[in-house]
Amino acid sequence: MKLAMERSAPSALLRDTLTVILAGGQGTRLYPLTKHRAKPAVPFGGMYRIIDFTLSNCVNSGLRRIMLLTQYKSFSLDRHLQQGWSILRYGLGEFIIQIPPQQRLMRSWYEGTADAIFQNIYNLEEQRPKYTMILSGDHIYLMDYAPMLAAHAENEADLTIAAIEVTKEEATRFGIMQVDAAQRVIGFQEKPSNPQPIPGGETCLASMGVYVFTTEVLVHRVLEDAKNTKSDHDFGKNVIPGMITRDRVFAYPLPGQDDRPAYWRDIGTLDSYWEASMDLLQPDPPINISDTSWPIRTFQGHRPPVRIDQDGLHGAPQIVNSMVSNGSHVISATVERSILFTDTIICPGAHVSESVLMDRVRVGEGAKVRRALVDKDVDIPAGEEIGYDPERDRRRFLITDKGILVIPRGYVFG
Amino acid sequence: MARILVIDDEHTLRLLYQHELTQEGHTVDTAGTADEGIAKVRDTEYDAVILDIRMPGKDGLEALGEMLAERRNIKVIINSAYSTYKDNFMSWAAEEYVVKSSDLTELKQKLAEVIGR
Repeated sequence: MKLAMERSAPSALLRDTLTVILAGGQGTRLYPLTKHRAKPAVPFGGMYRIIDFTLSNCVNSGLRRIMLLTQYKSFSLDRHLQQGWSILRYGLGEFIIQIPPQQRLMRSWYEGTADAIFQNIYNLEEQRPKYTMILSGDHIYLMDYAPMLAAHAENEADLTIAAIEVTKEEATRFGIMQVDAAQRVIGFQEKPSNPQPIPGGETCLASMGVYVFTTEVLVHRVLEDAKNTKSDHDFGKNVIPGMITRDRVFAYPLPGQDDRPAYWRDIGTLDSYWEASMDLLQPDPPINISDTSWPIRTFQGHRPPVRIDQDGLHGAPQIVNSMVSNGSHVISATVERSILFTDTIICPGAHVSESVLMDRVRVGEGAKVRRALVDKDVDIPAGEEIGYDPERDRRRFLITDKGILVIPRGYVFG
Repeated sequence: MARILVIDDEHTLRLLYQHELTQEGHTVDTAGTADEGIAKVRDTEYDAVILDIRMPGKDGLEALGEMLAERRNIKVIINSAYSTYKDNFMSWAAEEYVVKSSDLTELKQKLAEVIGR
């Protein structure tokens, strides 16, 4: 007698998939934004946190069994998930569950991405999903994972890797793949110094670090890797290159959204954070976060609408190519190509350009802020100039390779 | 000749394995509980560990995880009277899975293979 009900694709595929989001990265290259929080919890885009993009992709795709592997400084992340993501129903077999290192197997924290899975092999055993989707908690992109899962099943693949074309210059930062006509991966190099372009083109095919594994194959490969003392226990570096010749590995190119080319950003550095923020401000942004059919969920406090006022002295306020979040108040000031998070105050005569100001940042009267990332709770005094005198700025603040100035949370001007 | 650890809660089985494997030229240590076995793995670098699963207290699968934490490249042969654990992901961390039998031929053969790897 058959005990399990036969389920038909595609809902069966989604139901039989466990999603594991790796959210444990230390984010040292995002410091000081990661001074008090894990990388996935870094605020982004006016009212989101970076993790909201991946989580929204999951629930919008119909993937609703989600384990988040956390590690460092997870308090902000835990609180955000509790506030914004307590939306799935355990009673329906849906969950978002955070798992800090249990130290069941190792008495250490995760050594690499594959080690994070190895150390959670008990959870895989408990869930026994047919497929395991492995995602990263620090990417900005919109993606429907359901067609990727369908392609994985259709190809009878052991591993399917989401892929995007990048320039040869960018390619040195990623895992680069070569594929045959059927998208089967025939070569994989992690962070190659001399990346191999797509035949007949200038671009390379990069791994997005978004994987669908057939769970049993995943377990075998991760266990083998765990026992290899020479391994760094990293998927891109150690596990995947070894699978290319042994297993059925396929690439799945990330489709574009509407008429836009495919967009995916790994928020690894302060510069990439700033650039991805500026991308949102383009007249026709490469990523459409206002698509009602693919909402990006987050937690929003109960704050009033944005207020824009004019005082009697400083002329009309000007806000151009910018995003302004709830609770903010702009009074006779100029804001250009900037993202203002919740509850910011821009005082009369102030000028803010190409900047990201997080929650409760206040820019005093006549102050000027240019090309800066300002973390929460910073009060910029009246008349202060930020981003105009590189020498003075360098003595006070961290400045990135691309010249972006970063002011840490709660910084007090002396 | 290799250095082998046998972890099994059955005293007579430990004696039998010790006798048989010593005759094959191996040096054999034994442990009657998972914790005793883990402690031995911590102190000694064995060429292979023969591990029972169903034991009072800590079972063999849990012990396997803890032994991996001690020595990532440890070679373990699961030796259980039951084949049901073959499906358990954790058992896949072992090199081999041999179901217990009065005839030790298969166990000895797998042991030789594992040591040779």
